[in-house]
Amino acid sequence: MNFREVVIAVSIALMVLLLAYVIEAGGLGPIAPQRLRELAASYLLNTYNPWNIIQSAQSLEAVTAIVWDYRGIDTFFETSVLFISIVGVSLLFRGYREKAGISNRGLSEIVKTSTKILSPLILISGLSIAIHGHLTPGGGFQGGSFIAVLLVLLSVVFSLDFVVERGLSTSRLLVLRSLGLLGVLATSVALLVVGLLTGVNAYIFQNMVREGASLSMPPWFLDRPTGGTLLFFNVFEALAVAAGLSLAFIVLSLRREEVEEALEKGEWYE
Amino acid sequence: MELVPISIAAISALLSVVATYLAVRSRDMMSAVVFSAIQSTAYALIYYVLMAPDIVLVYVPVSVGILPAVTILLIKKTERYEK
Repeated sequence: MNFREVVIAVSIALMVLLLAYVIEAGGLGPIAPQRLRELAASYLLNTYNPWNIIQSAQSLEAVTAIVWDYRGIDTFFETSVLFISIVGVSLLFRGYREKAGISNRGLSEIVKTSTKILSPLILISGLSIAIHGHLTPGGGFQGGSFIAVLLVLLSVVFSLDFVVERGLSTSRLLVLRSLGLLGVLATSVALLVVGLLTGVNAYIFQNMVREGASLSMPPWFLDRPTGGTLLFFNVFEALAVAAGLSLAFIVLSLRREEVEEALEKGEWYE
Repeated sequence: MELVPISIAAISALLSVVATYLAVRSRDMMSAVVFSAIQSTAYALIYYVLMAPDIVLVYVPVSVGILPAVTILLIKKTERYEK
């Protein structure tokens, strides 16, 4: 390690620190507005309210609470729309199968090294955005698209073979996508199934205790709030979005040799 | 204090207008993709200043990561220069 590398490392660290300081000191404006509308005030009051659990989602982040609890069915259908578009892509390219050994060896060594440094950071920030979706801004879709960007980056920089060799072929990505959607479905009806089995009243997309329905998802994990269903929704949504977007990218990047094979198989399907 | 976020939003909006104009006028599709990514970055900054960090987190990976990647694939399979 020579002097030059030390200077570069120290200056990058200083830049990150100073940017963090500027944001922390409110350099990009006030963190929260002063005046609120009535609707926003009621959501902010009830999103995390241990004294009024009947109207609360027990989540510290109002946007995730609205997206997955108060307006959960809307978001479920949004997820389904994305799933249907992925089904459309894989139907259009039916017979597609990625071939090994026809892609080039990726980009230059400089790009590969910087991607090696960058990719764990992208993965960790994506996972953190998804898992902390009920605590900090973000959620399943955001974290999932971060991870999808990572897979796209790897398949461009290190070639498609690199991604496929590590077990992320299109068929397996489709399985992961379906698993994610099944997880969302299972989470949304979990309390209903328990209620039916035990003979207690329960709702679809029920999160906390509601009027006339005494079942509840666990609001705490050890000493951390989980937001009940929100944690599960965010994790499964991240899985589904990451697998779905990277599947679409891999299928759309089909090469000449794969087109010929896909055409033959497509005729066979017809 | 109120002036800083508003002026940041105004500068980003001006930048996005310039980038959009260049993206529409550009004959080279690759530079059009780059200009549209710049426009998306300016929009992401506006969203952040308007206190919508959730939208920023979904806007950055989709409009700077996924959308240019898919568009570049499309350009690679068709033509790069507009006649």
